[in-house]
Amino acid sequence: MSSVDLKIIAVVLATIGAFTLVANVIPQVESDVPPDIAFGADVSPEELVEVGEQLYQGAGGCLACHAESPGARGPNIITDYRGQGPIGVRCADRVPGLDCKEYLYQALVRPGDHVVDDYPLIMPPTDRTLTQPQIWAIVAYLQSLGGEVTVTGADIPDEDEAEVETDPALASTDPVELIQVHCLRCHVYEGEGIDIGRPLDDIGAHRSADELRRAILDPPSVVAEGYEDVVGLMPLDFGRQLNAEQLEALVAYLSTRR
Amino acid sequence: MRTTRWMWVAGILGGLGLLALFSPLGAQTYSPPTYGEDFPLIGSRAAIWIVAQTHLMFAAFVLGVPMFAVVTEAIGIWGKDERYDRLSKEFTRLLLVAYSATALLGGLFLFLLVTLYPALFSYLSEIFKVSMWIYAALFFFESATLYMYYYGWDRWKTGRAKLGHWGLGILLNVWGTAVLFIANAWLTFMMSPPSDVTPDTAPAMVQFWSAFANATWMPINIHRLIANAVFGGSIVAAYAAYRFLKAKSDEERAHYDWMGYVGNLIAIGVFLVLPFAGYWLGREIYEYNQQMGITMMGGFMSWLWIVQAFLIGVLFLAANYYLWIGLGRIPGGERFSRYTKWMLAVLVIGFIVWATPHSMIADRDELAAMGGTHHPFLGVLGLMSAKNTAVNLMILTTFLSFLMYRRANKIPTVSWAKTGTITQGGLLAVCSAVVLFYGVYGYFVPTITRIGFSVYQVLWVLFTILAVIGLDLFIMRRAESRGPIRWGQMPERSQYALFILVVTFTWLMGLMGFARSGIRQHWHVWEVMRDTTEHAATPALGYAAQVISVCVIVFLLMIAFVFWIGGMIAKPQLVPDPEPVPAD
Repeated sequence: MSSVDLKIIAVVLATIGAFTLVANVIPQVESDVPPDIAFGADVSPEELVEVGEQLYQGAGGCLACHAESPGARGPNIITDYRGQGPIGVRCADRVPGLDCKEYLYQALVRPGDHVVDDYPLIMPPTDRTLTQPQIWAIVAYLQSLGGEVTVTGADIPDEDEAEVETDPALASTDPVELIQVHCLRCHVYEGEGIDIGRPLDDIGAHRSADELRRAILDPPSVVAEGYEDVVGLMPLDFGRQLNAEQLEALVAYLSTRR
Repeated sequence: MRTTRWMWVAGILGGLGLLALFSPLGAQTYSPPTYGEDFPLIGSRAAIWIVAQTHLMFAAFVLGVPMFAVVTEAIGIWGKDERYDRLSKEFTRLLLVAYSATALLGGLFLFLLVTLYPALFSYLSEIFKVSMWIYAALFFFESATLYMYYYGWDRWKTGRAKLGHWGLGILLNVWGTAVLFIANAWLTFMMSPPSDVTPDTAPAMVQFWSAFANATWMPINIHRLIANAVFGGSIVAAYAAYRFLKAKSDEERAHYDWMGYVGNLIAIGVFLVLPFAGYWLGREIYEYNQQMGITMMGGFMSWLWIVQAFLIGVLFLAANYYLWIGLGRIPGGERFSRYTKWMLAVLVIGFIVWATPHSMIADRDELAAMGGTHHPFLGVLGLMSAKNTAVNLMILTTFLSFLMYRRANKIPTVSWAKTGTITQGGLLAVCSAVVLFYGVYGYFVPTITRIGFSVYQVLWVLFTILAVIGLDLFIMRRAESRGPIRWGQMPERSQYALFILVVTFTWLMGLMGFARSGIRQHWHVWEVMRDTTEHAATPALGYAAQVISVCVIVFLLMIAFVFWIGGMIAKPQLVPDPEPVPAD
């Protein structure tokens, strides 16, 4: 091996070594897998809070947005939000009619319903990535931040029951009920709902069943005239929120609205 | 012909593997286990990671070099410079062996996937089986085209036959691009499956085209196409550097000096547009899933971008260093030397700004030590406003180095040369001012507006580069020469910069592979199929860097072997044989 070969090897290894070194001296953060957990009926609040805190700080991924500084992507829920204290203090007052526990649970599984003013809707429903025991553990942890932990083992359903427990309408195939749950947040139907997207009363006169199906599953592919500026607002995950039977029931019903 | 035999062996092995997987008997009677045995010593994840990444590096090489070859052949044809034609042929020859290595690694990757992650492979093959058949078939067309392209080089050397030969080069790229796009569909589906695919969706119910043309498919296609050309160019440059350092005659040294320059020019020239493709990919990831985007940029992967900034800083510095040293072998180049220290300052400052962290994921102690999630002083520089400004100015500076290099030995003869040069300077100055303006103004507007500013900065830089180079072509038309470039009269240290470049590009490819794959976290298919093995947690950067380094070393050793074997197939004809010495 000539001196040129040795020099080349030295340069190559030094370069690789430098990169490896830099990557090793910076903070080492591993992305944990949310641990599979199950709680008995007699689980203590302390146990729930401990697991919830671990999830919040780690595998739950909450800290990426809900950090403790004003510039964070989501509101500060750990220490203080605009002088109102941590989330455990203010959770019971967030939505009239919902107690702290119910509010926190809903905010985790249906964040779109409870977006805090001035913040964009970027939070995904946590039940897509976490199990029911994991979600309830986080609820307990959040309650513990300035409030009383009221989550018990009785609140935590088996995974099989979870969808029904989350919202009865999720199991319904009644199209009117589906419209009330999923559509009225942005569409007006029979005088109800919020006027953001195109009204649904006569939608069947303007869209075929196939177009309606596409509009639900892939909203940007079917844009109503005059509503181009709100095209990005419709959630892209109705394919997950609805099962095939619900989707077809909804499409069939809407296509008759003329 | 030895190569041909290897390719057949690899093809038959791959074909048998696919046949076994898709046999009706297997489909009816056998349900694959979720996971196979853990791979000895290093574990399944590291095993498949190393093989997949090394395969990908070879794949990038065999897709990038045909792009390089077809461009250089075209320059040879229309520029009537046979050096480019010989250069193109030499690299096509290396492709023959590199194809075998790529196919063998691909076969190994397939077998590891089938044995270590059978459920995942079964799931993907159920959805993508048609494209897998086409993928395999394309290799036959690609191989046949490559053989005709290489072995027909001397037969179809002149006239219309030469154009037809060049057409074969284009066709080779078409096959290669098709192969790339198909494989990209599989991996991007794992990142961004259509929203109607859930864990309960049977793979047979997944619509093929919606899975194939998923949200990140086209951005990855474009990003990889560009990156492959960059990679091919950098390997060519490193090969030339090796030959330069080993050269025994001035002619040889001159030739390989020139080849290194051409390879580096293509690598860096194409590299300058890569950040724009990366920006598009990043935006699509955010649009597909905010959580994934946040994980990538502000979550546990946030430190990765600091390492990336370090690597790209090294790339800019090494590329400019090579060009600045190269000015020394160009008559007239010395008049630009005094500017290099200022350009170095811009690059170093840009490097520092780009490598400044902003939104780091940190624990409570670290936050307390820093005084918040953002460092009170450095946090300001860590914003994308500052980073975009820094990288755009670094791109402009590197472009200026090329411009100096290009103009070094030329004396313009057109009457408006001075006006043209002032206009070029004005364009560069205005562009820098605009980039700086948007960088500063970005601090005073909401985030969503600030993100839009980066598009304006990019468009201004692209426009300026195109306008300045367009003007230069006219200014330097029929220019007088201050003297020919003294190819070969390059200090040896310059060649080591080319090695640093190729190692950095290769390592960067490994790092970005980890980023793309790692943002899925513990999902094989994002939010559809979980990884439930003991290796499901996405490792920290330190471990990832060690695996990447192993991949790079394995790849470089293998590519060195390929070059060695390639040299045995036929002696390079790049340098004309020396005149025979008359016998006494």
